[in-house]
Formats: sequence, C-alpha cells, structure tokens
Amino acid sequence: MPTDTPDADNSHDVLDPVQLTIVNNAFVNICREMGITMMRTAFSPIFNEGLDFSCVLFDKDGDMIGQAEFCPAQLAASIFIVRWTVEELGANSFEPGDVVLHNDPYRGGAHIPEHSVIRPVFHEGELWGFVANVGHLAEIGGKAVGSFAADATEIFQEGLRIPPIKLVSRDRNNMDLWRLIMANHRTPRNTWGDLNAQIGSLRVAERRLIELLERHGGDLVTRASQELMDYSERWMRAEIAEIPDGTYRFTDRMEDDGVVAEPVTLEVAVTVDGDELIVDWTGTDPQVRGPINATYGVTAGAVYNAIFHLTDSSIPKNSGAYRPIRIIAPPGTVVNVQYPGPSVGGNTETHPKLADMVVGALAPVLPDRVAAAEGASCCNFLFGGNHPKTGEYFANYHLEGCGWGAKSYDDGNDATIVANGNCRNTPVEIFETRFPLRTLEYSLIPDSGGAGRHRGGLGTRRVMRVEEGAEITASALFDRTKDEFRAWGLDGGGPGGYGAILVKRAGDDAFRSFPEAFGTVSASKFTNIVLRAGDEVLLDSPGGGGYGDPRERDRARLERDVAEGLVTPASARELYGWEQG
Amino acid sequence: MGAWEPVVTQVWDTVVTPCDCCGQVVPKQLWVADVDGERRQFCSPECEALYRRYIVPRSGQVAP
Repeated sequence: MPTDTPDADNSHDVLDPVQLTIVNNAFVNICREMGITMMRTAFSPIFNEGLDFSCVLFDKDGDMIGQAEFCPAQLAASIFIVRWTVEELGANSFEPGDVVLHNDPYRGGAHIPEHSVIRPVFHEGELWGFVANVGHLAEIGGKAVGSFAADATEIFQEGLRIPPIKLVSRDRNNMDLWRLIMANHRTPRNTWGDLNAQIGSLRVAERRLIELLERHGGDLVTRASQELMDYSERWMRAEIAEIPDGTYRFTDRMEDDGVVAEPVTLEVAVTVDGDELIVDWTGTDPQVRGPINATYGVTAGAVYNAIFHLTDSSIPKNSGAYRPIRIIAPPGTVVNVQYPGPSVGGNTETHPKLADMVVGALAPVLPDRVAAAEGASCCNFLFGGNHPKTGEYFANYHLEGCGWGAKSYDDGNDATIVANGNCRNTPVEIFETRFPLRTLEYSLIPDSGGAGRHRGGLGTRRVMRVEEGAEITASALFDRTKDEFRAWGLDGGGPGGYGAILVKRAGDDAFRSFPEAFGTVSASKFTNIVLRAGDEVLLDSPGGGGYGDPRERDRARLERDVAEGLVTPASARELYGWEQG
Repeated sequence: MGAWEPVVTQVWDTVVTPCDCCGQVVPKQLWVADVDGERRQFCSPECEALYRRYIVPRSGQVAP
C-alpha cells in the first residue's frame, strides 16, 4: 500500500478513507447486484451457469470507476469499448433511458460474440456516468453454429457486427433494430432473453447509482471516484517501483491458426522504468488468416490482468490502476488485428497465452509471485441443431476448464476455466436437460498436471454421445493439443499435459482425430462438422505447468496424489523419484 | 509540438487509424506531430512522448 494514503492530506479538499471506502464498496456492490440480476434472468446457460459476462461502472468521461469479480478479459476490454462508444457517439448524444449496443471488434471491442450494452446515468438533469454489461452471446449468426468459426478468414464469417447503436431510446425499444439483429441469429428467442437480461442489469445499476448519489450528494461521489482512481494509480505505481528496472523478454507459440497448419510466434518485452511498465509486443508474427488474432483491447486486457496477478489484490480496480501500464501492440500483428481480419479465438486462445507471457517475462525478478503457464485454452466446443424432443433449434457455446499453472507456494487449480475468463464449468445436468448430448465421462486426466515441487493443475476429459434421433452441427477451437505446445513449467517444473478433441463415429471401435475422420486441416480447429446419433466426442483440456524440481515435492502430498489417482505410480517414480509402490 | 486533427470518415467506412506508438485505433481525434521530419499520428500527447523516448531510440533514429 502506498504511504501517501488518502488521509495523508487533512485539507478539506480530500475525502477521508471512510468516505472513500463506503463509495468504493458501493460501486463494487452495485456491480455484484447487476451480476445477480443477469445470472437469474438470462435465458442461456453461458450466462446463468457459465457466468460469461461482466458488469462495470464508468464516469461521464468514460473512466472505469467500479467493477466486481467477473471475467477479467471483459472487464479490461470494457475500458476501450465504453471510451470508444462515448467518443464515437459523443457524450451529448445520450439521453435518459437510452441503451447503446456494441460488439464491433474494430471499435475497441474484444471479439464479436462479446455484446456490450451501455446506459447513461443522469443525476439532477446532468450526465453523471455510464453503467455497462459485457456478455458473450451464445449465438450471433455467421458461418458456424455457435458463432465460433475456427476457419474464418474475415470478420463477416464470424457473426453480425454491430457498431455502437441505440437499441433503446428513452426507454423505448427500437424494434427495427431488434428485428434486424434477431433475423441474423440462429436462436433469436435466446438473443431476446439474454440481451434483455443485460439491459435489466443496467436498470438495476442505474437505480442503485442514483440512490447513492442522492444519499451522499453528487459532488461527494464524483470526488470520491476521482480520488479512488488517483489512489489506485499511486498504489499501482508503488508496486511497479518495487520491481527492478530492466527489460524482460518472453516468447511462446500457438500451434496453428485453424486455416494454415503452421505455428504462430508471440513475443513480448516488458520494460520496468521506475514506476511505469511498458509492455511491447513488437516481434510477434504478422496477423494470421485464421481467427486467433487478438484485438488491441484483448491484448491490453491480457497485460492488465497479468499485472493484477502480480501486484496487491487489494488495489481498487478502476482506471487509475491501469494508468502506469503502457502497451505497444503493432497494428497488423496477431496481437492487434486490423479490419477485416478474424478474431473470435483471440479472446479465448491467444489472450491467456499473452497474460502468461507477461508473467513468464517477470518470473526472474518476481519468483515468489508468478505461476507457471496454465492450459490456456478455453477448449471452445460449439454445437447446434433441432432438439428431437422439442423440435426447437438450439445452439450452445461451451468452454471447458483446464489446469492452471503451479505457483511457488502451491499447486495449480484443477479443471478451472482460464484465469482471464473466470467463468464457471457447465454442469452435466444442464447439458442433458437442454441439449441432446449424453455425458458418458467427466473426469480429471491423471498426469496432466505438470510435475513439480508444486504440481500443475489437471485438465479434464469429457465424453459426450449424440442422443437417439438427434443430429448436431459441431465446431471447435482448441489450442495446446500437441506435445511441443504444452503449458510451460517454471524453475525446473515440467510441462502440463496437452489437450485433444477426438470423435468416435457410431459403430467405430476407437476415437480418431477430426482430420482422420473428416479431413479437417487442423486437429484442434474446425467448423460445421455434422455428428449423428450414436457419435461420441471426447474433449481433453490441457493441464498446467509445474513449479520447481519434482523430486523436491513433499512426499505426503505426492502419496496423496497417487492415492487419489491424480499422478500414476509410474509417473511418480519416473518424474518425482518416488521409491515406493 | 503536436495538434489535434479530426478523423474524417463516411458512414460506410470502418475507421483504420492506428496510433503510431501503441497501435490503438483512434475513433475521432488524432494527435498529429512531426517526429524527425515525418508526420506521425498518435492517440494522445502521452503516446507521442512515449514514442520519442521508447520507440525512436529502438528504431535507430535520433530523437530530437
């Protein structure tokens, strides 16, 4: 914590820490209440089970003043989304009761399924700020069911692109726009329900924010939000200043882009210059044809999130905390896609690797704060079709938990959605209730956690069978499915296990890769494969890297791993030097 | 010393005006400055400053 806390100055111009804490906690709680509203009223499992949305507050200048424990990737991207929206439309264009909709990756957005709704908040007749909800709609049209076209080569194949537009004007739906949007989505009823859940959360936030302004006065809340941002900036600068000055580099690779079967190289140089960080992605490969390109907002979000992992978690998360971090992402590279390049996988596959790379670069100077690489793939599995029991068209976006990297002081988490997603695994019961897919197996994969003094988290195996009478159209966008692209370990820790997506056609004896079964270019990225009743799909998620020499692992913990089936006796002997068993 | 310049687009245009320093696309107002005799566009004066102190030395040019 910085020494010049807000109470250091006793002048009347500075609010006391109690007032600041009250306002900060109120901002956080408003965001949390938005989230509860969203979770309970949305139609799609991706929201009420997966929690793939984020709720955020902004001041009238477009600076983030409050957030809560949502998806870090969306939280960071929202800074760019709201700022762009306010600048493009102009602050004067907003009226009470408006809701702006926006999902354009080239206008500060993340990837195209991420739909932001933004509502102005007025107090005493003046624009005071904005409330926003960023959510990943499960189906937005485009060439692939579930809108995750792993072989897309331009944005137009990825779904309906929407620049900032007023979907609601003075609390009246603009039904022409609604009809246009729903005519382009495969599951329009879900779109209606999910977007209205997002909008409902904005109304809750607006009401609570106005209550806060009336309780404490607009001037005080405004001053508090500004002082909180300054406070966060000072605290973040103090944290950065403790890191030794210098330039720290890291390189990682992705296995392919879904279109061209060649690896993609990512490079970063992190320069610590006093109390400022410069994170430079120069040297990263040029923009690729397939959809693993990241937008500037995604790359910036990965950097911010990595730095938050390495600094005090108590720093209030607002725009002030981001000010000391400068990001250079050359346009036309994998880390800054330019129109009309595709980018739907940049947020799910590239983002986690970028964040890990910043952490990896700083590992030599922050060994006690860093973690080894996580599985770093959302293992995106998309499917849709007509449900044999209801006759209704369904579509779903599913993301899988992977293993997280081990830390210097503990093992990595098992079966957890990537750190920058912070979403929740979808329960088996939801799959079987909503979709014609029977789960045959859902388990941890033994030995998938990288060996180490602290073990990497384990990936999962999920096997599902298409039910009788059903036919589904499936797409996938995975990464880290090959041996040489496994999650890296640190300080002598081993790599995590690699992932896979395989298929067993009805009547087959064994699982095969999709190139073998269907002739796809990539084994991990493909679009619109038709699976019929009795076909089975196997999803393996990658494990996390280990930390430290495996032979130094506490023997009691190792024996518990073996007893629980997390580490096989053979691996315990070979990798950990276990002498029993 | 730089100056703000508007980004002029038509309704059919997708704005493609990345900052020469950070790479972020700028929607409405570019900060334009002369660096070593070349016109450079930035998202802010702060990015111009970062360009001069970080990028120019690394690209082999001499900062003014």
